[in-house]
Amino acid sequence: MSETGVFAFELGDELATRCGNTLTGVFVRGSRIALSAYRHVTHSSRDAPTETAGQDPVLIYMAQESTLFDEPVLRSVLAEANATFATLQQLGSRATRAEYVNISRAYRSIVRSCLEKLEQAKKSPEVQTDEARLQRLSDAIVVFYAAECLWHLFEILYIQNNQLVVPQLLDWARFHSPQAEDRATDLLLMGEEASESDDYWSIVRSLIMLGEIDITRALLSQNRKAGQTSFKAAEQILKSMPVYQEGYALQKFHSQWEFWHVDTERKIQSGLFATEPELEQLLRMVAGDNEQWDDGIKESQDFFEYLPGYLLFTKPTCKPFELKIAATHWLNRWCLLQPEKKQCAMNRMVSQLMDHDLKIFIYDSQKLNDTHWFSTHLIDLIHHCGQLKSYFDQNNIDLPALRHSMIYEYGSYLMTSHNMWQLGIDYLDCCKQEGQAAIELLLPERQATKLINLARQRGLISVEREICKVLSKRSYDNERYGNALEWAIRSKDVLLVTAVADFILKHYSKTGCMLCPDTIANVGGRMFASPRLVFLSKYFEFYEFYRNRDFLSASELLVNLLESKITPDYFWPSLLIDSMPLLESKDPKIFAKETVAILHHIETDLVPIIERNVSKYGKHHSETVFKDYRVENVDEILNLLRLACARNLARALIIENTMPVV
Amino acid sequence: MSFANVSTHYISEKVSQVRWLPEELQQSERFVTGSWDMDQNFVRLWRLQSNQYATATDSDVDQIPRCMDKVRMEDDVTAMEFVDKDTLAVSCADGHLSVFNVHRAVEEDQMQRTSRSGRLHCFQRSQEPAPCTDLSTYGTDIATAGEDGCVSIVSVENVRQVKRQIEADSMALFSICYISQQELVTANRMGVIRVLDGRVATEAQPKATFMVASRDDKSNFVSSLAKHPMQQHILLCGSEEGSITVWDMRNLSYPASYLSAHKSPINEIGFHQKDPSKLFTAAEGGEVWMWSENKVLGSDYTKDGHSPWLSGDRVRSLVDVEGVLSNIRKSINSFDVHRSRLVCGGDTEAVYLVDNIV
Repeated sequence: MSETGVFAFELGDELATRCGNTLTGVFVRGSRIALSAYRHVTHSSRDAPTETAGQDPVLIYMAQESTLFDEPVLRSVLAEANATFATLQQLGSRATRAEYVNISRAYRSIVRSCLEKLEQAKKSPEVQTDEARLQRLSDAIVVFYAAECLWHLFEILYIQNNQLVVPQLLDWARFHSPQAEDRATDLLLMGEEASESDDYWSIVRSLIMLGEIDITRALLSQNRKAGQTSFKAAEQILKSMPVYQEGYALQKFHSQWEFWHVDTERKIQSGLFATEPELEQLLRMVAGDNEQWDDGIKESQDFFEYLPGYLLFTKPTCKPFELKIAATHWLNRWCLLQPEKKQCAMNRMVSQLMDHDLKIFIYDSQKLNDTHWFSTHLIDLIHHCGQLKSYFDQNNIDLPALRHSMIYEYGSYLMTSHNMWQLGIDYLDCCKQEGQAAIELLLPERQATKLINLARQRGLISVEREICKVLSKRSYDNERYGNALEWAIRSKDVLLVTAVADFILKHYSKTGCMLCPDTIANVGGRMFASPRLVFLSKYFEFYEFYRNRDFLSASELLVNLLESKITPDYFWPSLLIDSMPLLESKDPKIFAKETVAILHHIETDLVPIIERNVSKYGKHHSETVFKDYRVENVDEILNLLRLACARNLARALIIENTMPVV
Repeated sequence: MSFANVSTHYISEKVSQVRWLPEELQQSERFVTGSWDMDQNFVRLWRLQSNQYATATDSDVDQIPRCMDKVRMEDDVTAMEFVDKDTLAVSCADGHLSVFNVHRAVEEDQMQRTSRSGRLHCFQRSQEPAPCTDLSTYGTDIATAGEDGCVSIVSVENVRQVKRQIEADSMALFSICYISQQELVTANRMGVIRVLDGRVATEAQPKATFMVASRDDKSNFVSSLAKHPMQQHILLCGSEEGSITVWDMRNLSYPASYLSAHKSPINEIGFHQKDPSKLFTAAEGGEVWMWSENKVLGSDYTKDGHSPWLSGDRVRSLVDVEGVLSNIRKSINSFDVHRSRLVCGGDTEAVYLVDNIV
């Protein structure tokens, strides 16, 4: 847990030292700060380059908050918590309390299992040899241990919301100080010999302070002197201690408890245990003797360790609002008796929770070095279970806004950190428009198909298109035109599809080689993405007919293409040259009417283009936009085309107008 | 039918592939996973061990996987397949193919990389490596498909020597599957499926192509291919829009059936190897479904070797579908079924074990 401390940055490169090692910083995406050298300029500074300009390299440093989650073991916390988070979002704010308690327990079990994995990892040989990693794991254990401890207490006090808190608090304290229990197990296994061991009485005392009455009784009954009256009386006292159970009449319990308490004190005073000083001390503690408990306080590590035990013996029916007073008293006593101990953040936060000081607790919880994992998920849970609504209203805290901003920050952090984007998306999904906008900005460009699917589910059409466009461009640069065409079609960007189709057509008219025929052949219904693509597909069809020597279909399609009005200017020469062999073939393939149409296109489409071209570039200019692999110069072919048309027209007219001779 | 239990195990890695180790006579206890999109990607060998906490808590998770061995990979693992009992072929996004040997032991199982191929896939112009997207095995042959549109065939005995390289497509290939010893089918991002002959070079390849069916004219890539383990002419394609198209390889003029299924791309599709009446699909949206042939209605079909999968529009009535896993919310990238146990994994960074599946 990080104590309040401000980090200092210093650059110290040549440029920075030149003007007094000053620096400036800008927050950039992903909780990073870009730092660079800085020279203060005011309205009175001269607006001129400094004399040292350009001498030193300008260096920009990126400062990034170190994160625990680089550690593979801890990734599972993020992934698992993400699933629980999503479950909670589905539950919404109308579920029963038991369901929220379950969610809370799920979060805690994630942390506990992670703590166990961390402990295991710490023992593994590959970590033992790696000093830095060992340190990282130890840090993580501290952080998540604290997170679990605080979450558990929060759950007891604010989510379960039971009227009686002592039994749960005892469980909580026991879990967080397991040493006494571990040792007690050893002692129990030793049997009668245990009473000779040095720490026998100190363990028994710790057990009492933790409220472990059953284990204490078991240990006492194993004692060599268990047969003596004093031990029997002690057993009797511990056994008869009334334990409050839910649904029991409080008044009746109080009178029973008072009776037992007075009876115990009387027995102690009567000197029943005088022969066994240790046992007497123990029972004084059970009777709530302050002197004994003060000794106990001196032994404790954290102030809250023995508080639940103390409550068990002095105020077993403590209610949450009474806990506030008891905790304050206890903390004061603890500070008084252990003045040398500094109040650590953990103690402070526990007492904030007990004091119902949630505002400061939430503030402090954001200082945990867990990139806000704890505070984000806890606040989200508070928001959903809605029990603390009145508290936040009274304290003027806009809880929904707080939750929103926490989730947004946390989600953005995940999105920007390498390979955790899939987790981040779920958090940003909760943030309505801002989240959508952030997803749009932050989606990385890996594994395109997955991203496209994510984007499509969220209706982010622009993201989908953007990805497709980028990939199309990339494929194009790689000379993988089939790929480029397909990405372009996916992007539904007419201009892009047209550009790729243009390239393929131009390439064909220049070289006579059709690029990516397999792709064009399968474009099918998608051709309507762009008129140019329609032309390309249709032309390809013609090209295939022609190659397969199906000239009749080919010529029909060619005429259709000529008539279609979607022919790009640059392709007119190629298209018309294509008609030449069909016009000139031995057996006529084009009817008279179509031949006239071809001639018409030559005169109205090709000629004007050529004229425009000539006026622009001059005659026989090599830079002419029209190129066809079959001819050197396009205008030379004009006459040939006209002649071919004329010959075919003559032939066709004769054939068409000749009555068949029967 | 109720599934006895599903257990979730978080492993801190996005899982791209998962495969059971083949076992002849018993339920397999070991599986391998490959990861993707991590700082370091690994192929890991896992073994199921009894849960020591099973008695302490009243959970019904009696087995938990433990990582026995791991091998670091150069890039994302894209596909894995067992060639024989303990030889594993792994394709990687850097365009290489690796062969692993798995050694089963009483205590600690081990796994080594025995060989690594040369670069099988690269972009012609930039000479940058192209990701190897899928692999398929037949006998000792391994065929890999790459984003460069090529198919490479190597033999597991010597992966450094490429037996044949076929420039199959001008587009990125997404999936590949052997349908017989010589014949392969590949699928590209546009949804075009090609039949290739492993014996001949690019120029002499058969021109058999067909298109996957789709609801509208949107691009619909084929994300996974599977063939029926007994009736080898039945080919199933899972596609981007989440539908399944079934082809009868003896008649390629039209698809035999078309089923709309998931709402997101189907990442893996496959039959139960021993019980081909069961089909499984895993989808990007976080679902695993099981399709089982309806024994009562479909009985007269199976008699004459006719599969209900080929029965066109009536498939829906002959095949029951049920969810094995749902509401995972993140992609399930891969699954594998061995006997009665299914394992799957995906971008939730967890593996899911489902017992008593059939």
